[in-house]
Amino acid sequence: MNTNTDLVIDAHDVHHTYRQDGTDSPVLHGVDLTIRRGEFVLLMGPSGCGKTTLLHILGMMMRPTSGSVRVEGVDVGSMSEAERTRFRRERVGFVFQRFNLLPILTARGNVELPLRLRGDTMDGQAARVLRQIGLLEKADKKPRSLSIGEQQRIALARAVVTEPHLLLADEPTGNLDSATAGAVLDLLANLHQSCGLTTLMITHNEHIATRADRVLTMRDGRIEL
Amino acid sequence: MPSLAVANLMHRKLRSGLSIMAVSIGVAMLIVMLGLSHGTLDEVADRMQSVDAEIVVLPQHENVIFTGGAAFSGEFRPLIERTEMDHKPIVKSVIPVLFDTIRLGGQQQRLFAIDAKDMPAFLGGRKMESGRMFDEADRLAKLLDSQRNAKGYYDPAKIDDADVNRACELVIDSRLAAVGKYQLGHEETILGRKFKIVGIVESGVAGRVFCPIQVLQHIKNAGMPWASMFFVQLLKPPAGQEKDWAERCAVVLAERTKARVEPKSAYGNLLAESFSQIYMFMTIASTISMVVCFLFILLTVYMNVLERTREFGILRSLGATGGYLIREIVSESLILCLSGAAGGIALAFLAKILIEKFRPLLTVKFAPEYLLLGVAIAAVGGIISAVYPGWRATRFDPVVALSFE
Ligand SMILES: Nc1ncnc2c1ncn2[C@@H]1O[C@H](COP(=O)(O)OP(=O)(O)O)[C@@H](O)[C@H]1O
Ligand SMILES: [Mg+2]
Repeated sequence: MNTNTDLVIDAHDVHHTYRQDGTDSPVLHGVDLTIRRGEFVLLMGPSGCGKTTLLHILGMMMRPTSGSVRVEGVDVGSMSEAERTRFRRERVGFVFQRFNLLPILTARGNVELPLRLRGDTMDGQAARVLRQIGLLEKADKKPRSLSIGEQQRIALARAVVTEPHLLLADEPTGNLDSATAGAVLDLLANLHQSCGLTTLMITHNEHIATRADRVLTMRDGRIEL
Repeated sequence: MPSLAVANLMHRKLRSGLSIMAVSIGVAMLIVMLGLSHGTLDEVADRMQSVDAEIVVLPQHENVIFTGGAAFSGEFRPLIERTEMDHKPIVKSVIPVLFDTIRLGGQQQRLFAIDAKDMPAFLGGRKMESGRMFDEADRLAKLLDSQRNAKGYYDPAKIDDADVNRACELVIDSRLAAVGKYQLGHEETILGRKFKIVGIVESGVAGRVFCPIQVLQHIKNAGMPWASMFFVQLLKPPAGQEKDWAERCAVVLAERTKARVEPKSAYGNLLAESFSQIYMFMTIASTISMVVCFLFILLTVYMNVLERTREFGILRSLGATGGYLIREIVSESLILCLSGAAGGIALAFLAKILIEKFRPLLTVKFAPEYLLLGVAIAAVGGIISAVYPGWRATRFDPVVALSFE
């Protein structure tokens, strides 16, 4: 048991191979990664090098083929699917390149969704977060009537509304123009600063590098030292 | 805030609406079929119960509903009258009825040909609302009786047609009078002769249309004293013999006549029995229509699930459990089916109003059980229809689902 609770992520020699229609495609070839509580870490690297795969493993969406991954001291390999689901619900926030808002729910409905999944009322929490991102007045609009920048801010609000311990963002500005991207990144940086939220963000945006604690580069399924 | 299930159904209004409509039609069909068949049969059974007699004698092996024609020859009546139990007579009187089928009030009616003097047994305390009894002063009855030989037969050729025509009279019940807007004095051609409505009785009596049995026997059976069935009034049971008196007398009468003899109280069951084939057919038809409904629901829910693969990936990434997804999908299916059941009940009541307006002689009776049955079937069908789609939703790999287009 890892007693160093200061390490939110502690991954060692992580390998992953996708198996599809009988063919193996190895993607991760021994990733080593540690992230301390409160760190803001960027992960960069060419497309297809396995960044998203690593993020899904760290977010407990899937298990690595081999290697050890501990998130907040808990070994992913030893957890059942139900335990991983619960872990995600309680401690992880995801932001995706494609926002992944539910089109049928309003902005508020989307932000409240993780709270409802937790059976948590957290009264006024959704409104608080919506105000924080400056979109309270658009809370009752459906995603399609919001601009894409606004949609991504809503997605960000949804990721942090439950006050997770770990925020995983996968190219959150990949679909945005640079001005809008700037606003979303500012928001992310502010969130990180104000609540000390441990954040791992995949990005191609060089400008944000100055605001990060560390910048990691991934190549061919490994993190470069 | 509406639940995810409601939001999803609202998002696909046409599809949801069609599914609800399909269930509505299925449920309405079930309820109306039950209500119509039981309502109409109960009404007929109730009217038969109103006859002041303990026993019915019916032709053997014959379907009660279709009983008609001259099933019993003239020998049966004295046979029944003379039946004894423990060497004591048991029969007080025998009421023969000859049936025919005629058209009145826009639909088929069973014509009850009876002896005028037996009418009090049919009225059972009900009143003649207006007019009088047919064959005034038993003119035709007396005339024919004067011509009968020892066996009860007469020569029809010797009877003046005018005497028969004068007795071609009908007594109808008030419900039929209202539906057909018939008034006293109205004439209707039946069996090739002009019959005049001379009396209207309170509804609830066994038949809706009565005529003199002598007329029908004369027209159809050359005056033979034949009957389609008998009602039998029993004598009071001897002291200490009260228990199951009618049942025991029925057994003795059945042995004697070789006919089908039942206590009148069993008439409802006899009716239901004669309808068992039709019931079975209706049950199968309703069941098939419900199954088709639920296949429709299954398809709808399944399509919803497949289209929302990505949404389930998102929900999974947010930490939704498989149980949560199943609950969502079952809720959707249940909302569709229960809305359908509600719509079906509304539709059934609408159908009842329409049936009663356009076919006022049919009785549609919705027992609370039928409505509950409709709701219960919808609920069970809704849950079953959601099982497979729900299971599929939990089988999606969250990572793959997230990248689903
Ligand atoms: N579910 C999957 N099944 C098979 N191969 C996959 C799957 N997901 C990703 N891959 C492959 O794995 C490699 C790495 O993908 P990914 O982790 O998405 O890289 P990145 O995010 O760095 O672009 C790619 O070659 C991609 O085609
Ligand atoms: Mg990627």
